[in-house]
Amino acid sequence: MLAPEIAQRFAGLARKESLKEYNFSHFRTRVLWQDARRTLAGQGIAPGQTAPDFELPSAIGGRMRLSDLRGRPVLVHFGSLS
Amino acid sequence: MKKLHARWGGLVSFLDVLVRQAHPGPCVLPYRRFEEKVRDGRVFQAEGISYPVLVDDLEGTVHQVYGGLADPTYLIDAEGRVAYYCLWTHAPWLQRAIEALLRQRGLGVVCGGLDRTPHALAALTDGWKGLRRGLWQSFTDLETAAPGSASSLWLGYQLRPLLAPLTLRAEPLPAPVRTGLALGAAALLVWGARWALARRRAS
Repeated sequence: MLAPEIAQRFAGLARKESLKEYNFSHFRTRVLWQDARRTLAGQGIAPGQTAPDFELPSAIGGRMRLSDLRGRPVLVHFGSLS
Repeated sequence: MKKLHARWGGLVSFLDVLVRQAHPGPCVLPYRRFEEKVRDGRVFQAEGISYPVLVDDLEGTVHQVYGGLADPTYLIDAEGRVAYYCLWTHAPWLQRAIEALLRQRGLGVVCGGLDRTPHALAALTDGWKGLRRGLWQSFTDLETAAPGSASSLWLGYQLRPLLAPLTLRAEPLPAPVRTGLALGAAALLVWGARWALARRRAS
């Protein structure tokens, strides 16, 4: 379902949240501190590094792969309904 | 993001990736089945987003690999490398980064590569729209985790007509105006926290 590269990187993450931790039922102080810690640590993909390729289903059908968009810049926003 | 897309959509590809419920509640329960997430992706898309909304898997694989950050946006260059990313997505800073990247023919790192600034003003004005989907659980959870913050979001949303032209703009502001706004937002947060504490003591 996902591109093999991202599945491999996910498996190799030193710290990853379990399914239940990731989809938490209540926004608690733990989540707030976790967000703050990750922000301060700049825990994203470092500038200059290749953005891990992924392929995901689109909400309106079909699938899209990040690497198919190469050739011009791409803006990727990670958003939540709530 | 919509304003940025309207301006730069011809030169830059835009994607939204739907992640977990950030502030769950009775009507926005944490995802237990992928179909629920796809359904919310359609809701998200129907809210006037004209570029693709992709749906991450239940584990948040893509989100977690990209750092599991709160509301991040990545600008990726034409060869697939990270040019810049920001937390608490902020349109004026993204606009600067897009302009810089296009000046570099779409390649390389721009604007220092990373913006860790918590851009509270945009969230203060617009954050209520997300939080209100999970009422009242989402409100009480956030207010308990960070006293004053949920009520500040409510207040910011009430003042939206006044604040939006400044806080939800896509164009960057001159530095002195930015400093003044940051001080104002900090004062508002302090006031909100004190008000919440006073209410708690009174009850």
